[in-house]
Amino acid sequence: MRRTKWFAISFLAALGVTLAGCGQVSAGSAAQAAETTDDQGSKAVYRTLDEIKSDGTVNIGVFSDKNPFGYVDENGAYQGYDVYFAERIGQDLGVKINYVSTEAANRVEYLETGKVDIVLANFTVTKERAEKVDFALPYMNVALGVVSPDSRVITDLSEITADDEVIVISGTTAETYLTENNPEIKLQKYDTYANAKNAIENGNGVAWANDNTEVIAFALQNPGYTVGIPSLGSQDTIAPAVSKGNTTLLDWINDEIRALADEQFFHKDYEATLVDTYGLDYEESLVLEGGGAAATAAP
Amino acid sequence: MDAAVLHEYLPLYAKAALLTIRLGLLGVLLSILTGLFCAAVQYLKIPLLRIIVRVYIELSRNTPLLIQLFFIYYGLPKIGIRTDPAVCGVAGLTFLGGSYMAEAFRSGLEAIPPIQEESALSLGMTRIQAAVHVILPQALSVSVPAFVANVIFLLKETSVFSAVSLMDLMFTAKDLIGLYYDTTEALFLLVVFYLLMLLPVSILGSIVEKKVRYAGFGT
Repeated sequence: MRRTKWFAISFLAALGVTLAGCGQVSAGSAAQAAETTDDQGSKAVYRTLDEIKSDGTVNIGVFSDKNPFGYVDENGAYQGYDVYFAERIGQDLGVKINYVSTEAANRVEYLETGKVDIVLANFTVTKERAEKVDFALPYMNVALGVVSPDSRVITDLSEITADDEVIVISGTTAETYLTENNPEIKLQKYDTYANAKNAIENGNGVAWANDNTEVIAFALQNPGYTVGIPSLGSQDTIAPAVSKGNTTLLDWINDEIRALADEQFFHKDYEATLVDTYGLDYEESLVLEGGGAAATAAP
Repeated sequence: MDAAVLHEYLPLYAKAALLTIRLGLLGVLLSILTGLFCAAVQYLKIPLLRIIVRVYIELSRNTPLLIQLFFIYYGLPKIGIRTDPAVCGVAGLTFLGGSYMAEAFRSGLEAIPPIQEESALSLGMTRIQAAVHVILPQALSVSVPAFVANVIFLLKETSVFSAVSLMDLMFTAKDLIGLYYDTTEALFLLVVFYLLMLLPVSILGSIVEKKVRYAGFGT
Protein backbone atom coordinates (compact mmCIF):
# COMPACT_ATOMS: atom_id res chain seq x y z
CA MET A 1 0.00 0.00 0.00
CA ARG A 2 2.74 2.42 0.93
CA ARG A 3 4.44 1.90 -2.37
CA THR A 4 1.23 2.70 -4.22
CA LYS A 5 0.94 5.94 -2.31
CA TRP A 6 4.49 6.92 -3.22
CA PHE A 7 3.79 6.21 -6.84
CA ALA A 8 0.75 8.44 -6.74
CA ILE A 9 2.68 11.25 -5.07
CA SER A 10 5.60 11.17 -7.50
CA PHE A 11 3.13 10.99 -10.33
CA LEU A 12 1.32 14.12 -9.27
CA ALA A 13 4.67 15.85 -8.88
CA ALA A 14 5.68 14.88 -12.40
CA LEU A 15 2.35 16.11 -13.72
CA GLY A 16 2.83 19.41 -11.95
CA VAL A 17 6.23 19.89 -13.57
CA THR A 18 4.70 19.16 -16.96
CA LEU A 19 1.94 21.66 -16.33
CA ALA A 20 4.39 24.37 -15.35
CA GLY A 21 6.40 23.67 -18.48
CA CYS A 22 3.35 24.04 -20.68
CA GLY A 23 2.51 27.35 -19.08
CA GLN A 24 5.95 28.69 -19.79
CA VAL A 25 5.77 27.80 -23.45
CA SER A 26 2.59 29.70 -24.10
CA ALA A 27 3.82 32.62 -22.07
CA GLY A 28 7.15 32.83 -23.91
CA SER A 29 7.39 35.69 -26.37
CA ALA A 30 6.91 34.77 -30.01
CA ALA A 31 10.03 36.64 -31.05
CA GLN A 32 12.19 34.67 -28.68
CA ALA A 33 10.63 31.40 -29.79
CA ALA A 34 11.27 32.20 -33.44
CA GLU A 35 14.99 32.74 -32.84
CA THR A 36 15.65 29.58 -30.94
CA THR A 37 16.49 26.41 -32.82
CA ASP A 38 15.65 23.83 -30.18
CA ASP A 39 12.47 21.97 -31.01
CA GLN A 40 11.17 21.71 -27.46
CA GLY A 41 7.61 22.91 -27.81
CA SER A 42 8.33 26.50 -28.87
CA LYS A 43 5.88 27.82 -31.42
CA ALA A 44 7.66 28.62 -34.67
CA VAL A 45 10.96 26.90 -35.19
CA TYR A 46 12.31 27.31 -38.68
CA ARG A 47 15.38 27.53 -40.83
CA THR A 48 16.01 30.67 -42.86
CA LEU A 49 16.74 30.64 -46.59
CA ASP A 50 20.48 30.92 -45.95
CA GLU A 51 20.46 28.11 -43.42
CA ILE A 52 18.67 25.82 -45.87
CA LYS A 53 21.13 26.72 -48.65
CA SER A 54 24.20 26.15 -46.52
CA ASP A 55 22.76 22.87 -45.26
CA GLY A 56 22.22 21.71 -48.84
CA THR A 57 18.89 19.99 -48.16
CA VAL A 58 15.37 21.36 -48.02
CA ASN A 59 12.65 19.43 -46.17
CA ILE A 60 9.35 19.53 -48.02
CA GLY A 61 6.15 18.06 -46.60
CA VAL A 62 4.03 16.36 -49.27
CA PHE A 63 1.24 13.82 -49.39
CA SER A 64 2.21 10.28 -50.18
CA ASP A 65 -1.30 8.96 -50.87
CA LYS A 66 -3.08 11.74 -52.74
CA ASN A 67 -2.89 10.84 -56.40
CA PRO A 68 -2.44 12.87 -58.63
CA PHE A 69 -1.25 15.73 -56.37
CA GLY A 70 1.26 14.05 -54.12
CA TYR A 71 1.80 10.30 -54.12
CA VAL A 72 4.45 7.63 -54.24
CA ASP A 73 4.62 5.76 -57.53
CA GLU A 74 5.35 2.07 -58.05
CA ASN A 75 9.10 2.77 -58.03
CA GLY A 76 8.91 4.49 -54.64
CA ALA A 77 9.42 7.99 -56.07
CA TYR A 78 7.24 10.96 -55.12
CA GLN A 79 5.07 12.21 -58.00
CA GLY A 80 2.22 14.61 -58.64
CA TYR A 81 1.29 18.24 -59.18
CA ASP A 82 2.66 19.40 -55.82
CA VAL A 83 5.81 17.31 -56.20
CA TYR A 84 6.49 18.66 -59.70
CA PHE A 85 6.60 22.14 -58.15
CA ALA A 86 8.68 20.91 -55.21
CA GLU A 87 11.25 19.49 -57.63
CA ARG A 88 11.53 22.90 -59.28
CA ILE A 89 11.96 24.63 -55.93
CA GLY A 90 14.79 22.24 -55.06
CA GLN A 91 16.42 22.83 -58.41
CA ASP A 92 16.21 26.64 -58.20
CA LEU A 93 17.37 26.69 -54.58
CA GLY A 94 20.27 24.51 -55.64
CA VAL A 95 19.70 22.00 -52.84
CA LYS A 96 18.65 18.40 -52.47
CA ILE A 97 15.06 17.66 -51.46
CA ASN A 98 14.12 15.53 -48.52
CA TYR A 99 10.44 14.63 -48.90
CA VAL A 100 8.53 14.20 -45.65
CA SER A 101 5.26 12.35 -45.96
CA THR A 102 2.46 14.20 -44.14
CA GLU A 103 -1.18 13.64 -43.24
CA ALA A 104 -3.78 16.37 -43.60
CA ALA A 105 -4.10 16.88 -39.85
CA ASN A 106 -0.41 17.36 -39.09
CA ARG A 107 0.57 19.88 -41.78
CA VAL A 108 0.44 22.84 -39.40
CA GLU A 109 2.28 20.97 -36.66
CA TYR A 110 5.07 19.92 -39.00
CA LEU A 111 5.73 23.58 -39.76
CA GLU A 112 5.35 24.71 -36.15
CA THR A 113 7.88 22.17 -34.96
CA GLY A 114 10.30 22.72 -37.85
CA LYS A 115 9.94 19.16 -39.08
CA VAL A 116 9.64 20.55 -42.60
CA ASP A 117 10.70 23.86 -44.18
CA ILE A 118 7.86 24.02 -46.70
CA VAL A 119 4.51 22.27 -46.92
CA LEU A 120 3.42 21.53 -50.48
CA ALA A 121 0.58 19.21 -49.65
CA ASN A 122 -2.50 20.60 -51.39
CA PHE A 123 -2.76 23.07 -48.53
CA THR A 124 -5.92 25.17 -48.86
CA VAL A 125 -5.50 28.75 -47.62
CA THR A 126 -7.89 29.45 -44.74
CA LYS A 127 -8.06 32.19 -42.15
CA GLU A 128 -7.51 29.79 -39.24
CA ARG A 129 -4.48 28.23 -40.85
CA ALA A 130 -3.03 31.63 -41.82
CA GLU A 131 -2.86 32.46 -38.11
CA LYS A 132 -0.53 29.52 -37.56
CA VAL A 133 1.56 29.38 -40.73
CA ASP A 134 2.56 31.78 -43.51
CA PHE A 135 1.09 31.06 -46.92
CA ALA A 136 2.94 32.03 -50.08
CA LEU A 137 1.18 32.98 -53.32
CA PRO A 138 -1.37 30.39 -54.45
CA TYR A 139 -0.79 28.04 -57.36
CA MET A 140 -4.14 26.27 -57.68
CA ASN A 141 -7.88 26.86 -57.26
CA VAL A 142 -10.04 24.57 -55.20
CA ALA A 143 -13.55 24.21 -53.76
CA LEU A 144 -15.21 21.40 -51.85
CA GLY A 145 -17.03 18.54 -53.53
CA VAL A 146 -19.08 15.52 -52.51
CA VAL A 147 -18.87 12.17 -54.24
CA SER A 148 -21.31 9.30 -53.70
CA PRO A 149 -22.07 5.90 -55.25
CA ASP A 150 -24.29 5.80 -58.34
CA SER A 151 -26.88 3.79 -56.41
CA ARG A 152 -27.69 6.88 -54.35
CA VAL A 153 -26.18 10.08 -55.69
CA ILE A 154 -26.24 12.91 -53.18
CA THR A 155 -26.82 16.14 -55.09
CA ASP A 156 -27.63 18.32 -52.10
CA LEU A 157 -26.60 18.19 -48.46
CA SER A 158 -30.29 18.20 -47.46
CA GLU A 159 -30.61 14.67 -48.88
CA ILE A 160 -28.39 13.38 -46.09
CA THR A 161 -30.54 11.93 -43.33
CA ALA A 162 -29.82 11.58 -39.63
CA ASP A 163 -28.88 7.91 -40.12
CA ASP A 164 -26.32 8.65 -42.81
CA GLU A 165 -22.67 9.22 -42.22
CA VAL A 166 -20.47 11.30 -44.46
CA ILE A 167 -16.81 10.38 -44.82
CA VAL A 168 -14.29 13.17 -44.29
CA ILE A 169 -10.57 13.26 -43.65
CA SER A 170 -9.48 14.66 -40.32
CA GLY A 171 -7.84 18.08 -40.66
CA THR A 172 -9.23 19.01 -44.08
CA THR A 173 -11.27 22.05 -45.11
CA ALA A 174 -14.21 19.74 -45.83
CA GLU A 175 -14.26 18.67 -42.18
CA THR A 176 -14.09 22.27 -40.97
CA TYR A 177 -16.80 23.38 -43.39
CA LEU A 178 -19.27 20.66 -42.46
CA THR A 179 -18.52 20.98 -38.74
CA GLU A 180 -19.25 24.70 -38.84
CA ASN A 181 -22.06 24.92 -41.40
CA ASN A 182 -23.83 21.58 -41.11
CA PRO A 183 -23.31 20.35 -37.56
CA GLU A 184 -26.37 18.08 -37.95
CA ILE A 185 -24.55 15.86 -40.45
CA LYS A 186 -22.83 12.88 -38.85
CA LEU A 187 -19.20 12.69 -39.92
CA GLN A 188 -17.14 9.54 -40.18
CA LYS A 189 -13.57 10.68 -39.83
CA TYR A 190 -10.46 9.03 -41.24
CA ASP A 191 -6.84 9.92 -40.71
CA THR A 192 -5.48 9.29 -44.20
CA TYR A 193 -6.63 9.60 -47.81
CA ALA A 194 -5.98 5.93 -48.38
CA ASN A 195 -8.31 4.93 -45.53
CA ALA A 196 -11.07 7.31 -46.62
CA LYS A 197 -10.94 5.95 -50.18
CA ASN A 198 -11.12 2.41 -48.89
CA ALA A 199 -14.06 3.33 -46.67
CA ILE A 200 -16.15 4.85 -49.48
CA GLU A 201 -15.35 1.84 -51.67
CA ASN A 202 -16.48 -0.49 -48.91
CA GLY A 203 -19.70 1.48 -48.50
CA ASN A 204 -19.05 2.62 -44.93
CA GLY A 205 -20.53 6.05 -45.59
CA VAL A 206 -23.16 7.48 -47.95
CA ALA A 207 -20.79 10.06 -49.40
CA TRP A 208 -17.29 11.46 -49.20
CA ALA A 209 -16.73 15.19 -48.83
CA ASN A 210 -13.32 16.56 -49.72
CA ASP A 211 -11.54 18.99 -52.04
CA ASN A 212 -13.47 18.87 -55.33
CA THR A 213 -10.25 18.15 -57.21
CA GLU A 214 -9.86 15.02 -55.15
CA VAL A 215 -13.44 13.75 -55.43
CA ILE A 216 -13.53 14.46 -59.17
CA ALA A 217 -10.33 12.46 -59.59
CA PHE A 218 -11.81 9.66 -57.49
CA ALA A 219 -15.01 9.50 -59.58
CA LEU A 220 -13.02 9.53 -62.82
CA GLN A 221 -10.75 6.74 -61.64
CA ASN A 222 -13.47 4.59 -60.06
CA PRO A 223 -16.53 3.72 -62.12
CA GLY A 224 -19.75 3.59 -60.12
CA TYR A 225 -19.29 6.93 -58.36
CA THR A 226 -20.63 10.37 -59.23
CA VAL A 227 -19.70 13.79 -57.94
CA GLY A 228 -23.23 14.90 -57.06
CA ILE A 229 -22.07 18.17 -55.49
CA PRO A 230 -19.16 19.52 -57.57
CA SER A 231 -18.79 22.81 -55.72
CA LEU A 232 -19.59 23.47 -52.09
CA GLY A 233 -18.68 26.43 -49.95
CA SER A 234 -16.38 29.18 -51.15
CA GLN A 235 -13.79 29.07 -53.91
CA ASP A 236 -10.45 28.76 -52.22
CA THR A 237 -6.85 28.59 -53.29
CA ILE A 238 -4.00 26.23 -52.59
CA ALA A 239 -0.59 27.62 -51.71
CA PRO A 240 2.78 26.60 -50.33
CA ALA A 241 3.19 27.28 -46.63
CA VAL A 242 6.20 28.00 -44.44
CA SER A 243 6.59 28.35 -40.67
CA LYS A 244 5.11 31.54 -39.21
CA GLY A 245 7.62 34.36 -39.53
CA ASN A 246 10.00 32.67 -41.95
CA THR A 247 10.03 35.71 -44.25
CA THR A 248 13.26 34.98 -46.10
CA LEU A 249 11.95 31.66 -47.36
CA LEU A 250 8.45 33.06 -47.94
CA ASP A 251 9.78 35.94 -50.06
CA TRP A 252 11.93 33.58 -52.06
CA ILE A 253 8.95 31.30 -52.84
CA ASN A 254 6.79 34.28 -53.80
CA ASP A 255 9.49 35.58 -56.17
CA GLU A 256 9.81 32.09 -57.59
CA ILE A 257 6.06 31.78 -58.24
CA ARG A 258 5.99 35.21 -59.93
CA ALA A 259 9.04 34.35 -62.05
CA LEU A 260 7.59 31.00 -63.10
CA ALA A 261 4.55 32.72 -64.64
CA ASP A 262 6.74 33.77 -67.59
CA GLU A 263 7.22 30.18 -68.63
CA GLN A 264 3.63 29.18 -67.73
CA PHE A 265 5.17 26.67 -65.34
CA PHE A 266 1.96 25.51 -63.67
CA HIS A 267 0.30 24.85 -67.02
CA LYS A 268 3.25 22.58 -67.80
CA ASP A 269 2.86 21.06 -64.36
CA TYR A 270 -0.84 20.40 -65.05
CA GLU A 271 -0.07 18.85 -68.42
CA ALA A 272 2.62 16.64 -66.89
CA THR A 273 0.73 15.44 -63.84
CA LEU A 274 -3.00 16.15 -63.92
CA VAL A 275 -4.01 15.80 -67.56
CA ASP A 276 -4.29 12.00 -67.33
CA THR A 277 -6.83 12.37 -64.55
CA TYR A 278 -8.81 15.46 -65.47
CA GLY A 279 -8.25 15.89 -69.20
CA LEU A 280 -7.74 19.42 -70.52
CA ASP A 281 -11.21 20.63 -69.47
CA TYR A 282 -10.22 21.65 -65.97
CA GLU A 283 -6.84 23.21 -66.82
CA GLU A 284 -7.91 26.85 -66.86
CA SER A 285 -10.19 26.55 -63.85
CA LEU A 286 -7.60 24.80 -61.67
CA VAL A 287 -4.27 26.34 -62.57
CA LEU A 288 -3.08 29.66 -61.16
CA GLU A 289 -0.01 31.34 -62.63
CA GLY A 290 2.03 33.99 -60.85
CA GLY A 291 -0.10 33.74 -57.75
CA GLY A 292 -3.43 34.73 -59.28
CA ALA A 293 -2.87 36.53 -62.57
CA ALA A 294 -4.56 33.63 -64.31
CA ALA A 295 -7.47 33.60 -61.86
CA THR A 296 -9.34 36.24 -63.85
CA ALA A 297 -8.98 34.15 -66.99
CA ALA A 298 -10.67 31.16 -65.39
CA PRO A 299 -14.08 30.29 -66.86
CA MET B 1 -2.31 27.03 -22.32
CA ASP B 2 -5.79 28.50 -22.57
CA ALA B 3 -8.31 27.52 -19.88
CA ALA B 4 -11.26 28.42 -22.13
CA VAL B 5 -10.02 26.02 -24.79
CA LEU B 6 -9.55 23.27 -22.20
CA HIS B 7 -13.07 23.85 -20.96
CA GLU B 8 -14.46 23.75 -24.48
CA TYR B 9 -12.67 20.49 -25.30
CA LEU B 10 -13.62 18.67 -22.08
CA PRO B 11 -16.98 17.26 -23.24
CA LEU B 12 -15.41 15.93 -26.43
CA TYR B 13 -12.67 14.21 -24.45
CA ALA B 14 -15.17 12.82 -21.97
CA LYS B 15 -17.14 11.34 -24.85
CA ALA B 16 -13.99 9.88 -26.36
CA ALA B 17 -12.88 8.48 -23.01
CA LEU B 18 -16.26 6.82 -22.61
CA LEU B 19 -15.93 5.19 -26.02
CA THR B 20 -12.39 4.10 -25.24
CA ILE B 21 -13.42 2.62 -21.90
CA ARG B 22 -16.53 0.95 -23.30
CA LEU B 23 -14.78 -0.72 -26.23
CA GLY B 24 -11.60 -1.31 -24.23
CA LEU B 25 -13.33 -3.11 -21.37
CA LEU B 26 -15.49 -5.16 -23.71
CA GLY B 27 -12.36 -6.13 -25.61
CA VAL B 28 -10.58 -7.03 -22.36
CA LEU B 29 -13.51 -9.15 -21.20
CA LEU B 30 -13.71 -11.08 -24.45
CA SER B 31 -9.92 -11.41 -24.43
CA ILE B 32 -10.09 -13.06 -21.02
CA LEU B 33 -12.70 -15.55 -22.23
CA THR B 34 -10.68 -16.30 -25.37
CA GLY B 35 -7.52 -16.58 -23.29
CA LEU B 36 -9.10 -18.96 -20.77
CA PHE B 37 -10.41 -21.13 -23.57
CA CYS B 38 -7.05 -21.26 -25.35
CA ALA B 39 -5.17 -21.95 -22.12
CA ALA B 40 -7.59 -24.76 -21.26
CA VAL B 41 -7.19 -26.32 -24.70
CA GLN B 42 -3.43 -26.24 -24.31
CA TYR B 43 -3.44 -27.50 -20.74
CA LEU B 44 -5.75 -30.39 -21.51
CA LYS B 45 -3.74 -31.09 -24.69
CA ILE B 46 -6.87 -31.51 -26.82
CA PRO B 47 -5.68 -32.83 -30.19
CA LEU B 48 -6.19 -30.76 -33.35
CA LEU B 49 -7.79 -27.87 -31.41
CA ARG B 50 -4.43 -27.49 -29.71
CA ILE B 51 -2.69 -26.91 -33.05
CA ILE B 52 -5.32 -24.40 -34.15
CA VAL B 53 -4.89 -22.50 -30.88
CA ARG B 54 -1.11 -22.52 -31.29
CA VAL B 55 -1.39 -21.09 -34.82
CA TYR B 56 -3.85 -18.45 -33.63
CA ILE B 57 -1.61 -17.39 -30.74
CA GLU B 58 1.46 -17.01 -32.94
CA LEU B 59 -0.49 -15.18 -35.64
CA SER B 60 -2.07 -12.81 -33.16
CA ARG B 61 1.00 -12.12 -31.03
CA ASN B 62 3.27 -11.45 -33.97
CA THR B 63 1.12 -8.97 -35.88
CA PRO B 64 0.38 -5.43 -34.70
CA LEU B 65 -3.17 -4.44 -33.77
CA LEU B 66 -3.16 -1.79 -36.49
CA ILE B 67 -2.63 -4.43 -39.16
CA GLN B 68 -5.33 -6.66 -37.63
CA LEU B 69 -7.80 -3.75 -37.64
CA PHE B 70 -6.93 -2.91 -41.25
CA PHE B 71 -7.55 -6.51 -42.20
CA ILE B 72 -10.92 -6.66 -40.45
CA TYR B 73 -12.16 -3.22 -41.45
CA TYR B 74 -10.77 -2.70 -44.94
CA GLY B 75 -9.93 -6.24 -46.04
CA LEU B 76 -12.94 -8.34 -45.05
CA PRO B 77 -15.52 -6.13 -46.85
CA LYS B 78 -13.80 -7.10 -50.12
CA ILE B 79 -15.09 -10.62 -49.55
CA GLY B 80 -18.46 -9.41 -48.34
CA ILE B 81 -18.02 -9.20 -44.57
CA ARG B 82 -18.65 -5.63 -43.49
CA THR B 83 -18.24 -4.65 -39.87
CA ASP B 84 -19.25 -1.57 -37.97
CA PRO B 85 -16.20 0.39 -36.68
CA ALA B 86 -17.04 -0.37 -33.02
CA VAL B 87 -17.48 -4.09 -33.70
CA CYS B 88 -14.22 -4.06 -35.64
CA GLY B 89 -12.41 -2.36 -32.76
CA VAL B 90 -13.64 -4.88 -30.19
CA ALA B 91 -12.95 -7.80 -32.55
CA GLY B 92 -9.41 -6.57 -33.18
CA LEU B 93 -8.75 -6.04 -29.49
CA THR B 94 -10.10 -9.51 -28.69
CA PHE B 95 -8.04 -11.11 -31.43
CA LEU B 96 -4.90 -9.49 -30.08
CA GLY B 97 -5.73 -9.77 -26.37
CA GLY B 98 -6.90 -13.38 -26.52
CA SER B 99 -3.41 -14.65 -27.23
CA TYR B 100 -1.75 -12.45 -24.62
CA MET B 101 -4.24 -13.62 -22.01
CA ALA B 102 -3.82 -17.25 -23.10
CA GLU B 103 -0.06 -16.98 -22.61
CA ALA B 104 -0.50 -15.34 -19.20
CA PHE B 105 -2.82 -18.13 -18.02
CA ARG B 106 -0.60 -20.80 -19.56
CA SER B 107 2.46 -19.49 -17.73
CA GLY B 108 0.41 -19.71 -14.52
CA LEU B 109 -0.64 -23.28 -15.22
CA GLU B 110 2.89 -24.32 -16.10
CA ALA B 111 4.27 -22.74 -12.96
CA ILE B 112 2.46 -25.34 -10.86
CA PRO B 113 4.69 -28.42 -10.58
CA PRO B 114 3.13 -31.70 -11.84
CA ILE B 115 3.70 -33.20 -8.40
CA GLN B 116 0.77 -31.16 -7.11
CA GLU B 117 -1.66 -32.80 -9.48
CA GLU B 118 -0.14 -36.20 -8.82
CA SER B 119 -0.48 -35.69 -5.08
CA ALA B 120 -4.08 -34.60 -5.43
CA LEU B 121 -4.88 -37.65 -7.52
CA SER B 122 -3.17 -39.94 -5.02
CA LEU B 123 -5.38 -38.44 -2.30
CA GLY B 124 -8.35 -39.70 -4.27
CA MET B 125 -9.42 -36.51 -6.03
CA THR B 126 -10.69 -36.73 -9.59
CA ARG B 127 -8.84 -34.78 -12.31
CA ILE B 128 -11.57 -32.16 -12.31
CA GLN B 129 -11.46 -31.80 -8.52
CA ALA B 130 -7.70 -31.49 -8.65
CA ALA B 131 -7.95 -28.80 -11.32
CA VAL B 132 -10.64 -26.79 -9.54
CA HIS B 133 -9.35 -27.04 -5.97
CA VAL B 134 -5.58 -27.35 -6.38
CA ILE B 135 -4.24 -26.26 -9.73
CA LEU B 136 -6.48 -23.37 -10.88
CA PRO B 137 -6.39 -21.24 -7.70
CA GLN B 138 -2.60 -21.35 -7.69
CA ALA B 139 -2.28 -20.88 -11.44
CA LEU B 140 -4.55 -17.84 -11.51
CA SER B 141 -2.69 -16.30 -8.61
CA VAL B 142 0.63 -16.74 -10.40
CA SER B 143 -0.70 -15.19 -13.61
CA VAL B 144 -2.19 -12.08 -11.98
CA PRO B 145 0.77 -9.72 -12.63
CA ALA B 146 0.91 -10.70 -16.30
CA PHE B 147 -2.86 -10.41 -16.45
CA VAL B 148 -2.91 -6.88 -15.04
CA ALA B 149 -0.12 -5.85 -17.41
CA ASN B 150 -2.17 -7.20 -20.31
CA VAL B 151 -5.27 -5.26 -19.29
CA ILE B 152 -3.31 -2.00 -19.25
CA PHE B 153 -1.59 -2.93 -22.50
CA LEU B 154 -4.92 -3.59 -24.21
CA LEU B 155 -6.51 -0.36 -22.97
CA LYS B 156 -3.53 1.56 -24.32
CA GLU B 157 -3.70 -0.26 -27.63
CA THR B 158 -7.09 1.39 -28.25
CA SER B 159 -5.08 4.41 -29.38
CA VAL B 160 -4.78 2.93 -32.87
CA PHE B 161 -8.58 2.84 -33.27
CA SER B 162 -8.37 6.05 -35.29
CA ALA B 163 -7.45 3.91 -38.31
CA VAL B 164 -11.03 2.62 -38.41
CA SER B 165 -12.68 6.01 -37.85
CA LEU B 166 -13.42 5.46 -34.16
CA MET B 167 -13.30 8.73 -32.26
CA ASP B 168 -11.21 7.45 -29.38
CA LEU B 169 -9.05 9.73 -27.21
CA MET B 170 -6.10 9.71 -29.58
CA PHE B 171 -8.14 10.49 -32.68
CA THR B 172 -10.16 13.17 -30.89
CA ALA B 173 -6.92 14.93 -29.97
CA LYS B 174 -5.48 14.63 -33.47
CA ASP B 175 -8.74 15.77 -34.99
CA LEU B 176 -9.02 18.84 -32.76
CA ILE B 177 -5.43 19.77 -33.59
CA GLY B 178 -6.29 19.50 -37.27
CA LEU B 179 -9.41 21.62 -36.84
CA TYR B 180 -8.29 24.36 -34.46
CA TYR B 181 -4.51 23.96 -34.06
CA ASP B 182 -4.50 24.26 -30.26
CA THR B 183 -1.80 21.63 -30.07
CA THR B 184 -0.68 22.22 -26.49
CA GLU B 185 -4.18 22.04 -25.00
CA ALA B 186 -5.22 19.06 -27.08
CA LEU B 187 -2.14 17.01 -26.20
CA PHE B 188 -2.25 18.00 -22.53
CA LEU B 189 -5.84 16.78 -22.21
CA LEU B 190 -4.86 13.60 -24.02
CA VAL B 191 -2.20 12.76 -21.44
CA VAL B 192 -4.49 13.68 -18.53
CA PHE B 193 -7.35 11.54 -19.81
CA TYR B 194 -5.19 8.50 -20.44
CA LEU B 195 -3.78 8.87 -16.93
CA LEU B 196 -7.24 9.27 -15.41
CA MET B 197 -8.30 6.14 -17.22
CA LEU B 198 -5.28 3.93 -16.61
CA LEU B 199 -4.00 5.02 -13.22
CA PRO B 200 -7.01 3.53 -11.34
CA VAL B 201 -6.63 0.29 -13.32
CA SER B 202 -2.97 0.19 -12.42
CA ILE B 203 -3.58 0.87 -8.71
CA LEU B 204 -6.49 -1.55 -8.56
CA GLY B 205 -4.28 -4.10 -10.26
CA SER B 206 -1.54 -3.87 -7.67
CA ILE B 207 -4.07 -4.16 -4.84
CA VAL B 208 -5.61 -7.28 -6.39
CA GLU B 209 -2.12 -8.63 -6.96
CA LYS B 210 -1.25 -8.36 -3.24
CA LYS B 211 -4.55 -9.94 -2.21
CA VAL B 212 -4.32 -13.00 -4.43
CA ARG B 213 -0.59 -13.70 -4.60
CA TYR B 214 -0.67 -16.50 -2.09
CA ALA B 215 0.61 -19.24 -4.32
CA GLY B 216 4.08 -20.70 -4.03
CA PHE B 217 6.17 -21.86 -1.16
CA GLY B 218 7.18 -19.77 1.82
CA THR B 219 4.52 -17.08 1.55
